[in-house]
Formats: sequence, structure tokens, C-alpha cells
Amino acid sequence: MRFKVLLFAISIFCLFIIGCSDDLSIHQPGNLVLKTVDENPALPSVSINGTRLHAEAFGNPKDPMLVFLHGGPGGDYRNALSVKQFAGNGFYVVFYDQRGSGLSRRHPKNSYTIDIMFEDLRAVIDFYRTDPNQKIFLFGHSWGGILAAGYIDKYPEKIDGAIFAEPGGFTWKHLEEYSNQSRGLNLFSEPVSDVMYLDQFLTGKENDHELLDYKLNISSSFTYAPGNAEGIEGPSPTWRNGSVVLNSLGSIAARDGYDFTQNLNQYNTKVLFIYGESNTAYGREGAEKEADFFKVSQVTGIPDTGHEMIYFKWNSVYPVVLEYLNSLK
Amino acid sequence: MKTLKIVLLFAFTFVILPKLYSQNINWESLQKNQKHIAHFNGHWEYALGFGAAYGYQLNSKTPVVLNASFSKPAGEKVLDDFKTRIGAQFRIMKINTFQVTASVQAIYRRYQNPLVRIQNFGSELGLNVGYFRPRFFIAGEFGFDKAILTNFKHAESFKTNFDPDVRDGWYQPSTGGNFNYGIVSGYSFGQSDITFKIGMVLSQDLKTTPFVPFYAQLGYNFRFGGK
Repeated sequence: MRFKVLLFAISIFCLFIIGCSDDLSIHQPGNLVLKTVDENPALPSVSINGTRLHAEAFGNPKDPMLVFLHGGPGGDYRNALSVKQFAGNGFYVVFYDQRGSGLSRRHPKNSYTIDIMFEDLRAVIDFYRTDPNQKIFLFGHSWGGILAAGYIDKYPEKIDGAIFAEPGGFTWKHLEEYSNQSRGLNLFSEPVSDVMYLDQFLTGKENDHELLDYKLNISSSFTYAPGNAEGIEGPSPTWRNGSVVLNSLGSIAARDGYDFTQNLNQYNTKVLFIYGESNTAYGREGAEKEADFFKVSQVTGIPDTGHEMIYFKWNSVYPVVLEYLNSLK
Repeated sequence: MKTLKIVLLFAFTFVILPKLYSQNINWESLQKNQKHIAHFNGHWEYALGFGAAYGYQLNSKTPVVLNASFSKPAGEKVLDDFKTRIGAQFRIMKINTFQVTASVQAIYRRYQNPLVRIQNFGSELGLNVGYFRPRFFIAGEFGFDKAILTNFKHAESFKTNFDPDVRDGWYQPSTGGNFNYGIVSGYSFGQSDITFKIGMVLSQDLKTTPFVPFYAQLGYNFRFGGK
């Protein structure tokens, strides 16, 4: 019997080392995740600040520039492509996937800093800018709104107006509060089990981008589970999430904290806050709390939608944002 | 080749090992005539879950228990996510009250969410070193769980919202592996054991951890006789 048990043990060990050539590799870009700009040269991109970003622009380059900042960190601009409609309204609309996000170049975890995200934004603006006097507007969704606030806090004179779509945390304290309200964990529920149970199927090393990005992609179903506090209606298109940049910036924020509100009260231009009325974790109260950091602000609710209002209720978002932009054009 | 791997795994398992389980045993209270062990547990193992197992003690000079177990995480859907193990636990060494035991398990597990269905064949190796008395035991345990062969089948929702050309099929090399280490203890009375274990989980790169980096299990064994 000992021999049989030993033989069984050996067979299990053999499975560790048997290799095969006809199976697919999870580390091969294009199998489970889309290729980045480094792997697919056909993608539109810009090389700035020591990285290569998936980016494109629409409209007349001489018009006032509107830069869209996606959520995450690690998300991409795919579900906000409707924003390019402003190109038909006299705006030069610029999209980019942030460093380590979407289809942009991946970097090691220890290379990311919050400051480098600001410097990338500055470099993208400089890349597309055609005139030193060209007006620059920011449109930030979720984390993109936090990035926009941080940029205005740092370079208030460089930005001529901003739209914030449920940023959810101009300080680390506010972000923690929002996270607690929006991501309540019911350990008996299917969506929570779906996120956590996955850890035994897929484990990646710290910089194992393909595997970790894929894992984050499929975990995203948690965000739109029925009854979610953010009022997200369902899945929305995403090219590829950036897991490493999310983990890196999340770790930095948790370790060091941040406060992007110190100079916002010196910003004299009116800013626009929009929120989805179905997002019970944010709502008017959340928007007004963040708007209070600015001297002049407008807060507008978008009915029958939640955190992903730009994708699901674009027809309601568009006129509000257009009116605001035209007032500052 | 993947078919060969699966056949190999299960051929060895079913041909060589008749019956199985995965549980905590007080080797000092396990009697020779107690052939069968039924086991139930509630646990945190990556997620909150529940499990049941059956063990069969062989007629051998050194104690060997073959086992089969089933566990599933909490959730409204009953059989979309689960894990089965088949394998054996056996004593390697005994010096007075100290014993060293090992376990070898083959794993089949399934995962499904709105975007993908994942099936995996894996294995789990474990080592326990501890102090065993007839009424109680306490041991340190160390294990490694390897996800060896993994199959992905994506839902239309994934293809629509992420990648229409995503490649379904069998993937290698291994898509995952986690170490676990902790303490296991138990109290025995009559034909029963109440067991408890708790520990940490660490990914195979020894740097990263699962979403919740610990495990815990409260279990009950009922030992009953054969001939």
C-alpha cells in the first residue's frame, strides 16, 4: 500500500513538471487580454515622459482642448468615447489611457507615483497643444476626477475649467469613506464570493501584467452586481484594466495618504460636478461635499443612472456638460 | 496533451486510491477499527464556505486515510463555484507523542461569474508536525496548492465588453499557486473530533497575497467502525 501511495504522490508531482506545446499561455498578450501599444503598433499612441500611452484626439487642434481622464486607477477611456461628440461643438477632444492603464505601456509596480500621473497629464496637454493661449478643460470620471482635482491643486493657472463626474475622494479620508459606502461586503453573497474565490485559480507575481489585468477584468462583474450601491446598471465596455498601477497607487495612497484640496479654494473658475442620482453611496451630498472645496461650483444630478452615467446616460450628461463648457469657451 | 494530463491525474487517483477525503485527524485517537470518518466544516478558504468529506482508513501498519471532499463558497448559486479533492493522508513518523503526517490531494475546481467559466485541475501537498494525545492534538501545518491546468470559456458579455477575440481553451503554464501555513488543533471525545485550524495564505511568488490572506476552519469528525 505504501508503494501505491508513493506512486500516487509521484504522479501528482509529475503534473507539476509536465509541459505541453499545444496549450495556450496566459502570459501571451492577445490570448486573454488585449495587446498594449507596445505589442500592437497599429494602436494610436503618444510617447511622452518616458512612457507610451494609448491616446487619440478628435476635432480641430486649434479649438479649446478638452482632456478626458478615465477612472480606475487602471481603467481606460473606452466607455467614455461618447465624449468625442464635443469635437462637433468646437472642442479639441483628447483621450488617453493613463500610464499602466488600458492599452498603455505597463511598468513595474515600484515605478509608479502619484506625481508621475500629474506629469503625464501635463505632458499629454503639451503634446497636443497647438497654441500657448489655447484653453484647456479637464473632464474627469471617478479616479480621473481625483486626478483632475490634484492637477488643479498643483497647477491652477494651467486649467480653464473642469467637469467632475463622481470623483469620490479629493483626500484619502474621503476616498476611504466612499469606498466603505460603495463597496459593502456581504460575505454570503454570490458577487463577493466571485471576487474572492478566484484567488485560488489565478495568482500572479507582482508585475505579472497579463494575468493580473485579466483577473481584474473578470472581477469587474462585482461592480455591477444587482443591488450595487453605486447604481451601476450593468457592464460597460473596457479594453483592459491595469492591475499593477491600481495596486501601486492604492498602496501609496494607503501608506502616505493624500490631500488634493489645499489650494482648490484659490481656483476662481466655476467647476461642474455631475452625479448619478441612483448612486446611493455618493448622491447630491457627496457631490456638494466635494464642490465645497471650490469657490464657485455647479452641482447637477443625472437622473436614472449611477456611477457610470457617462456611458449609460450620455444623452442626459451631454447637454449639461456642453452648457458648462460653452459658458467658459 | 491536456487530455493526457487529465487522464494521468485521474487514472492514478482512481486506480491506485479507492476512496478519499481532506480533513483534520487526531491520529492518536483514531482506532484501527474506525474505518470510516465523516467530516463537516465551515471555513474561510479564499471565501466563506462549507464542506463535507468522507475518509476511509486502510488496513496498514502505518495509518493511512484515503479521502474525498467537496466544498463550496457561500452564494446564491449552488453549483457554479466548488472544489473537490481526492487524496490520502498518512503518517510519516512518530516519536512518542510527536508525529509527522503528510497529505497528497488531487483537485478539481470550478468557478463561474457573469463573464467567464473557469475549470481547473490542481494538486495540494501538505505536511503536519505536531503533538498528538488521545483527547487532543495541536500541530503546525504547511501546504502548497497548485492550479496546474486551467480551462477558460468566456461568456458573450466578456466578448462584448472586453475582447471579442479572447481565446477560450486550456492554458498553461500553471495559472496559480498558493502556500499556506498555520496551526491545526482538535479535541476528541467518544467517536467525535472537533477541529479548528487557522493560518495564512501566501502566493507562490512569496510576495503577494490573496484578497483575504488567511484561512480558518471549524470542523467536526465522526469516526465509526467497520468490521
